[in-house]
Amino acid sequence: MASDQELIIQFQESINREANFTALLKKHQQKVYYQIKRMVTDHADADDIAQLVWIKIWDKLDGFKMESEFTTWLFRIAYNETLNYLQKQKKQGTSHSNGDLLDYENATASSDSPKSTEIQIGLDRAISQLPEKQKVVFMLRYYEGYDYEKIASIVGTTIGGAKANYHQAVKKVESFIKQL
Amino acid sequence: MEKDTELNHQDNIGNSLVQDRAWADSLLNKQSLSQFNLSKTNAPFNYFESFPDQLMSRIEAEKRQKMKKKNAKIFFLPSFMQPLNRLAIAAACIIVVGGSFIFLNNSVSKKTQAPIVANDISLQELSSEEIESYVDANEWIAEIDVQAQMQKENLRLSSLDEKQIEEIKKIITQ
Repeated sequence: MASDQELIIQFQESINREANFTALLKKHQQKVYYQIKRMVTDHADADDIAQLVWIKIWDKLDGFKMESEFTTWLFRIAYNETLNYLQKQKKQGTSHSNGDLLDYENATASSDSPKSTEIQIGLDRAISQLPEKQKVVFMLRYYEGYDYEKIASIVGTTIGGAKANYHQAVKKVESFIKQL
Repeated sequence: MEKDTELNHQDNIGNSLVQDRAWADSLLNKQSLSQFNLSKTNAPFNYFESFPDQLMSRIEAEKRQKMKKKNAKIFFLPSFMQPLNRLAIAAACIIVVGGSFIFLNNSVSKKTQAPIVANDISLQELSSEEIESYVDANEWIAEIDVQAQMQKENLRLSSLDEKQIEEIKKIITQ
């Protein structure tokens, strides 16, 4: 399998642009989608944002200078597009997060023991209430296992800032669950 | 004591991914965290298989739209047809037409109103004192008229005899 760098160089040299772009897309689409979905919850929203992200990548890939990793650049665009989308939704007052949370609660309620269901619902609520930056830092560190340098580049902060965000996220979620 | 533990955690953050995960697991329940992740990392059936084709067709459509916009001939209106200029021209026309209408209307009314006022005043409405004072004030004009008439006539007086001169004097004094 060709590396990101090889695919990008071929794309920039106009050799099979579509094929190289599609290869990049197939390689990273799931992670991009999941990163977005962890922030917006709703599939339709996540799909919309994912399309916007990849269209932006198509438009800007010619100018990508490979000074950073492609995935860092890609996830930074995904993060920014998601933030823009959420801000627009807030302005229009059309957030789907509560509806999806209820769906999630209904789905989990039937499957597990009452205690673990309670904890899961609490966790979901707590994470959804975190500020966007803390939420993303927590997700990228805990679930994706990225180093703080990469996380800092994605969310536009310092390494120390990213570490502090992770710490605050975990503590906030913990205190929220304790209140249950 | 609790504060010390917290500070200890904060210091340990970033030492390694394993430590960071273990710390979160100890506080938030590992099972719930993995359950949470499962709920967030699912997508409708076949979504990732169809996504690239969907996206590429959208990119193609946007490309075509951009090309259309590029190729579309753009006609610029002459400067006087631009919305702002049109407004200015319309305003100027209204000012010119309105101004001339007002001007013409004023001058016509002045002309028509003056005689009407004069005609409206009949001699019967004036007292004899008013008439006398008017005549006194304008006597010198009448005198000038007589003198002018006499000067005209004098040119021909030389050719008249005394009888004719007397008759003319009578007419003038009447």
